[in-house]
Amino acid sequence: MSTLGNSMNIFWQESPIGKLERQKLLNQKGCVVWITGLSGSGKSTLACSLSRELYERGKLSYILDGDNLRHGLNKDLGFKAEDRTENIRRVGEVAKLFADAGLICIASLISPYRKDRDACRAMLPDSNFIEASLFLNERDPKGLYKLARAGKIKGFTGIDDPYDPPLNCEIEINQKDGVCPMPSAMAGEVVTYLEDKGYLQD
Amino acid sequence: MVVLKALRPAICCSSSIFDGGPLEPVDKASFVMFPFPASSLSMRLRRGNNAKLSLVQATEESSMPIATDPAAAISATNGKATNIVWHKSSIGKLNRQELLQQKGCVIWITGLSGSGKSTLACALCHALYSRGKLAYVLDGDNVRHGLNCDLSFKAEDRAENIRRIGEVAKLFADAGIICIASVISPYRKDRDASRALLPEGDFIEVFMNVSLQICEARDPKGLYKLARAGKIKGFTGIDDPYEPPLNCQLELPQKGNICASPCEMAETVISYLEEKGYLQA
Repeated sequence: MSTLGNSMNIFWQESPIGKLERQKLLNQKGCVVWITGLSGSGKSTLACSLSRELYERGKLSYILDGDNLRHGLNKDLGFKAEDRTENIRRVGEVAKLFADAGLICIASLISPYRKDRDACRAMLPDSNFIEASLFLNERDPKGLYKLARAGKIKGFTGIDDPYDPPLNCEIEINQKDGVCPMPSAMAGEVVTYLEDKGYLQD
Repeated sequence: MVVLKALRPAICCSSSIFDGGPLEPVDKASFVMFPFPASSLSMRLRRGNNAKLSLVQATEESSMPIATDPAAAISATNGKATNIVWHKSSIGKLNRQELLQQKGCVIWITGLSGSGKSTLACALCHALYSRGKLAYVLDGDNVRHGLNCDLSFKAEDRAENIRRIGEVAKLFADAGIICIASVISPYRKDRDASRALLPEGDFIEVFMNVSLQICEARDPKGLYKLARAGKIKGFTGIDDPYEPPLNCQLELPQKGNICASPCEMAETVISYLEEKGYLQA
């Protein structure tokens, strides 16, 4: 009998169909591509472009977008530090389930605190956590920086709440000669990485 | 502010260009941000000029968020989190279903501890896999080791457990997967709340209608014994209620075949899925 935290008397249920079988069915390996960066850095754009590139190669992916999840699973959470931590924890756990299901799960969230991203990395075995960070010029596609600078949003990442850039991410996307790369080019970099590491075959 | 879907990057303009006469003819598509609501915009355009404003599909190259209505573009005021914009993904559920040759849905297996939920879930998974279909089991016990490790068995935590599993199952169904949720889920309102998250028909409630006596006689995990000895409090069926479904899609075992094996019961579910078209794109 396992005794964990709040829940005793919970047993691990074995299922005969496992990750290997699902990967064989899908002809790919499940993993999590974790896209982190400031608001407006292009995370959602990259996520969409990546899912399209993968689809065109017959690979199944699913996007967990920070904003979208805050409408559903994480709608009870705000932006205080502890809520941000819980937001990331839950997304990490769900991403782990998707990776176990055999999908290439693309998590697209600011995820500003390094320790929270590292905790998600620790949830996934066998280096199946691929951190992609975006270092592009601040743009303001949702008008949020303007609101933050006017003091209408408090605790906004990059203005009055910190962003801890990754120290050891697998993929780093920067501007080239002062120009933002096209989304399809950025997606191409990620696809190349996935191909090299064997995720696009079973 | 109204943000329109478009083919090319934005041209921002003030309202003053519309104060004068007709708009210059625009011979290529462009994307304009107007500082006033769409309804007043169309009235201005109808007033004596030939400009035509139509919504066109943005490509993934756009760096602007796309929204089909102003409310979504401006902010989501859901109490907890404002300033959140709905992001539309270019690959959708239909694409994924085409790839997988199946339709995503949630099979929600509910019943007392020991009624055979996990056993059915495993058998069903196997049966679907042998037909080349992708399924994934969200088992109540397993999820309580991960996502829901912060929750206990108090009523409010049970409700939150079911809510989170419902939300995750919804994501899996959206991904095109046949998601099998195997969880006691004793309270009717919590199960109904999860049902309400999904489109009509995509939430398939399967009730493992096995009597308390049989469940207790099986007692596969020794929990009923502990509950009777008072070592577990609030155990469903003993000192916490189970509310059976009033309108489930399937009840197992079926009347007339009460000794059905897990494989036979799995085949009953498969027939239902086939009939409703979930085993094809």
